[in-house]
Amino acid sequence: MTLPAPDPLSLSGVFFDGRTSRDRAATLTVSAGEAQLRVDGGLETRWAVTQLRIDPPVPGVRRVLKFPDGSRFETADDASVTALEARTGRNRALGQVRRLETRWWTALGALALTLALAWGFVAYGIPALARGAAKATPRSVLATFDRETVQFLEDGGYLGSSRLSAARQAQLQTEFRRVTAWAGGGYPYRLLLRDGAPEDAPFQLGANAFALPNGTVVMTDQLVALARSDRELLGVLAHETGHVTHRHGLAGVYQGLGLTLLSVAVTGDLISAGTFAAAVPAALLRNGYSRAAETQADEGAGRYLMGTYGTTRPLRDILARLDREDRNADESSVRGGSRTEDLLQTHPGTAQRLRHLRDIEARGR
Amino acid sequence: MTDAPPPAPPGRHDRPLAPAGGAQAVSELPVVTTYPLAFTGQAGEYFRIWIVNTALSIVTLGLYLPWARVRQRQYFYGHTWLDGQNFEYTASPVALLRGYLIVGAFFLAYSVTANFDSTLWIAGLIAVLFFGLYPWLVMKSLRFVAASTTYRGLRFRHHGKAGGAYLAYGLANVAAGLTGGLALPWAWFMQRRYQVQNAAYGNAHATFRGDVGDFYVIGLTGLAVGIGGGVLLALPLIALFFLLGGANFPEAGGETFTPGLVAGLVGAYLALLALYAVAWQYVRAATLRSVLNRVEVGGVVRTGATFSPWRLVWIGVSNALVQALTLGLATPWAAVRRARYVVQGVQVRAIASLDDFAADAAPSESALGEAATELLDINLGF
Repeated sequence: MTLPAPDPLSLSGVFFDGRTSRDRAATLTVSAGEAQLRVDGGLETRWAVTQLRIDPPVPGVRRVLKFPDGSRFETADDASVTALEARTGRNRALGQVRRLETRWWTALGALALTLALAWGFVAYGIPALARGAAKATPRSVLATFDRETVQFLEDGGYLGSSRLSAARQAQLQTEFRRVTAWAGGGYPYRLLLRDGAPEDAPFQLGANAFALPNGTVVMTDQLVALARSDRELLGVLAHETGHVTHRHGLAGVYQGLGLTLLSVAVTGDLISAGTFAAAVPAALLRNGYSRAAETQADEGAGRYLMGTYGTTRPLRDILARLDREDRNADESSVRGGSRTEDLLQTHPGTAQRLRHLRDIEARGR
Repeated sequence: MTDAPPPAPPGRHDRPLAPAGGAQAVSELPVVTTYPLAFTGQAGEYFRIWIVNTALSIVTLGLYLPWARVRQRQYFYGHTWLDGQNFEYTASPVALLRGYLIVGAFFLAYSVTANFDSTLWIAGLIAVLFFGLYPWLVMKSLRFVAASTTYRGLRFRHHGKAGGAYLAYGLANVAAGLTGGLALPWAWFMQRRYQVQNAAYGNAHATFRGDVGDFYVIGLTGLAVGIGGGVLLALPLIALFFLLGGANFPEAGGETFTPGLVAGLVGAYLALLALYAVAWQYVRAATLRSVLNRVEVGGVVRTGATFSPWRLVWIGVSNALVQALTLGLATPWAAVRRARYVVQGVQVRAIASLDDFAADAAPSESALGEAATELLDINLGF
């Protein structure tokens, strides 16, 4: 377009009329806005260059030019077709893609970009998106979650009615209200005291406490029995309310969804993403998110304990006892676990959590 | 840019010499010419295409995905040669995108609504809709794939009707389930017959000359491989179990799951997975070969396959292993390796020139079925 009269382009290739499968050798000459097609055997046609359709280039694949009457010209002369594209401004975007595809350094750049984006998405994108989605989720949905989960656990026989005396239960409820007043957030908090090891339970929850998205906190008799003082239980309850106010439970659901979508992107379809091979890395990543949430909840519980008692010791002690499954253990009996073991756990290693809580105490002084 | 065209048109057959003095040609028998298929794709070249398009798909949050799929397919079609001409994939990425968005929206709605009791009925409705439409989606997909394939300037077509699809992909699958798998090879037969019998190149219709027996032989071989391999694997494992873990059980108080036992269980699970993969890959490979050996087009062309199903099983299993070890980065190499072996093992035998096919009026096909089968990995068997 810049030159007054660009050199005529001459391409040799094969002609198909689109009505039969017969191939005929042909030449196409393009000059000054007109394309002249000469087919072996005498046929000669002229087209305006604007009438030509040029299929986007794919590396190593023969180029195809299509004419309005359904006939086509195929050629291995990629350089001339590329020149024709440049002159007429066709296939700009996909021509650019082809340029990226033909060089090793751009391909390796794409590889680096893919790996970096995948890592960034897993490390920052999914958690941020999940946090945002969890914040935006209406309260009514949270209430449904709580209701259905408790119903599932009770109908399934995982939880039985508490064997604690009415007086003891009332005492714990009062203490729980103090923690929730501190935690705030306007959630309809309630504490469910339950037996975590009823007979013929399909799975023993044992000494355990967990929070549901809308402020329902379940604590088992077995955990109450494991504690040597109520301060320890308050530390645990403060930890659980942290999960509620940060909406960790819901964020976990969204993170799971995000990881599923990522598996789909990696494996290329929706069914392979559900297979064992894809499930293992996804589960490992999910555990990673869960460990981050635990650390955040510990942070809150640590601040509560510092504010109330001036020490994080009660939570440390009960964590140690949970870890050793021993009523007489304390934090000195916990040794550091290996990193691989960490990877498989939903909570950070106990040793790491104790260190974190000691740091909070040191900072608080 | 530097990729030079192949020196000689690949797949070009040696034309039989015209019988000298044609007048007194002895035979009334037609001259059969064999045209081998050739594949000229390169793993390195395809890796670059694959990774660039993957990166673009990610950067565009998936919107570029249809363009990526089309380019990747165009590479494989364009490098498959028959009698000096290559195949061409002509699907429109915009049509595919529309299909992807619809299928993706349904899948998202299903995933979200399946989480709550109050909305479970919506998920159920989507599931029922999917199973009800499954044969129809397969039909749409077959029609789309055929209409998107061009060779020598002529399009392929698939004339499948919904009735046939509901028989082959609906009724036959239900029958296979109800009979506990006894009717499964019959279902495969019905499905392949539906695929081939309705296919056409230009106006030349394909016919399927296979019968149910072939599929029962393949199914039984696959079953025998599964059972035989299972027995061979189980014997040493059971022996090992009794030697290591089993003897401990009487006094096993706390530690039931010793590391050795866990390793054994994981090993057994992986072995079973591998065995299942081998048996299934065998069925797929043997079916492909058997079907290709029984296709006739327009009464003048027959396809034939000489690749070995067992070799294809080995390629499939080793590909999967390498892909897993390289976190998927070896996918392009694996795809080129498989395509090369399959394509080089296929021939076309013709009693007429491949020049003599004529076009048929080809309506445009919707990409919805294709999007569904691709995203949901519905196996069409080829």
